[in-house]
Amino acid sequence: MSDRLQDLTSTNTASGDNLSAGGRVPSIVTHRLTDHVLAAVPTIWLALFFLAPLGVTVAFSFGRSTFGGVVFDLTLDNYRNALSGFYGATFVRTLLFAASASALCIAVAYPVAYFLARRTRRRRGLAAGLILVPYFSSFLIRVMALHMLLSRDGLVEHVLNTLWLHSGPLDILDSQTAVFIGIVYAYLPITIVPLYVVLDRIPQPLLEASRDLGASRFKTFVFVTLPLSRPGIATSVLLTAVPMLGEMVIPRLLGGSKGVLLGQVLSAQYLQSQNYPLGSAMAVLILITIALIVTALARVTKGFSEVGP
Amino acid sequence: MSAAAAFHRSLGKRLVDAGLSLWFVAALVFLYAPIFAAIVYAFNLGVVNKQTAVITGWTLQWFPAAWNDLSLRRAVQASLVVSFWSALISVAIGSALGYAMVRHPQRAVRRFLSALTYTLLIVPETVIGVSLLMTYAVSGVPLGMASLIAGITPMAIAVVALIVRARVLTLDRRIEEAAADLGSTRLKTIRFIILPQILPAVMAGAVMAYTFSFDNLVVSAFLTTPQVNTLPVFLYGSLQYGPSPAVYAAAATVFLFTLLMLALAAQIHRWARRSTLPRSDEPQR
Repeated sequence: MSDRLQDLTSTNTASGDNLSAGGRVPSIVTHRLTDHVLAAVPTIWLALFFLAPLGVTVAFSFGRSTFGGVVFDLTLDNYRNALSGFYGATFVRTLLFAASASALCIAVAYPVAYFLARRTRRRRGLAAGLILVPYFSSFLIRVMALHMLLSRDGLVEHVLNTLWLHSGPLDILDSQTAVFIGIVYAYLPITIVPLYVVLDRIPQPLLEASRDLGASRFKTFVFVTLPLSRPGIATSVLLTAVPMLGEMVIPRLLGGSKGVLLGQVLSAQYLQSQNYPLGSAMAVLILITIALIVTALARVTKGFSEVGP
Repeated sequence: MSAAAAFHRSLGKRLVDAGLSLWFVAALVFLYAPIFAAIVYAFNLGVVNKQTAVITGWTLQWFPAAWNDLSLRRAVQASLVVSFWSALISVAIGSALGYAMVRHPQRAVRRFLSALTYTLLIVPETVIGVSLLMTYAVSGVPLGMASLIAGITPMAIAVVALIVRARVLTLDRRIEEAAADLGSTRLKTIRFIILPQILPAVMAGAVMAYTFSFDNLVVSAFLTTPQVNTLPVFLYGSLQYGPSPAVYAAAATVFLFTLLMLALAAQIHRWARRSTLPRSDEPQR
């Protein structure tokens, strides 16, 4: 509102003198033009290569599959199909998987973030850098190497045998456990960052006050630190649970044929069975789920000012 | 009694601290072990042209083998070209987006652009990939280099935009207003006042966009063709037949390359921080 007011005032005064209206004064026309071009170019590009494709998927999801093609229609059959039988079970399994894997990621990441937030400023930068470097190195290569490590006769098997934690060959690949290990491995760095940012911002005097009022360290953590880190937890959930809904690489490489997830089933509709409307309905279901997650998270973090990256 | 309690407390504190440190070290080992493994396996002899989990001996033969593998080499070449153009486009568009997100005069526009950027980050790549595939099919755009590059730009644009946005937020608005008061047009202000100030962020964004594009697997998996096959897609495909040992040699090389790029980005960032110190106090040293 105030912005628009300022716009109006600057437009009115611009014709006359250049000195009065503080901010953006000279030649309103070119100034507006530049600003609009800078906003329009990205919008047009993203409309073409992001929004329009999503629109096509939504349109396809109401269509009917013909031999290798699609006839537009307004049927809900694809949704019915995607939510029943094997596909419905996969959808539910994927939701449960995303929820539990996201919780696992946060459980592993929280102590690391807590540790980072309590370092001195200089060491903190180094430690955070160490955590982030793997995230920027090739994802596929890391998962491939993890596959090697977890395979029979691999390093992990030898280490576990030496430590007497396990005996005999390790049959962890092609199981749900391996998928969980891979997921935590791949998402750990980006789970840590939002938690770290938010823990770092909790004012120290608040914790001291809690201690002064007689709360134990544990109680201070549960009743002060944990509630205050809610926005970080919400962001971490967003960054982990959401991509997991479409995850197709890790389950395929580490999980084998067991426990197929929605991402794999979805891509199979396009790359193998060519049932595009069904695949589109699955994609739309993923998008709807994400919208619900975002709404829920927004509600959880209501009252906090924006904690952005 | 209170001394005992204090001792108790400090013991508890120390235990917690030790536990946290241990957890952190364990996380680091977990994160780095596969990376070291990938590099080690690049030198592993393996058994009859097959990579094995056991170390059977040391060799350098996989590096020339990777170099001579024609399809591998073509994949690397395609990846280099794709990520170059993707980074270039993403930097231009992402910088404009990052700037407009902060400085566009209309609040509604700023909000819309922010929402768009964050949406880009949370839509799963699988969904973007299949949607683009269908869009190209419907509009009759043939799959090829250009369609692949355009397809992987949206996410790279979001990354660049967020980096540039963070930098624009720290800029002193009064400098732009002073320029405007002195008769500079908006375009000139951007060219001579803003661009020099955000250049380090733009360059860091370029490196990030390049790395992200080079590494992109999911969207690319839907948009590549046998003719245009990038390295991650090629590796992913080759895994089905059991990876050729040369793959790890290529992977190790790519990893070192990525590390160099990241070091470059970090250096640019550091250089940026130094160059943002107020110029006017320089002579006073």
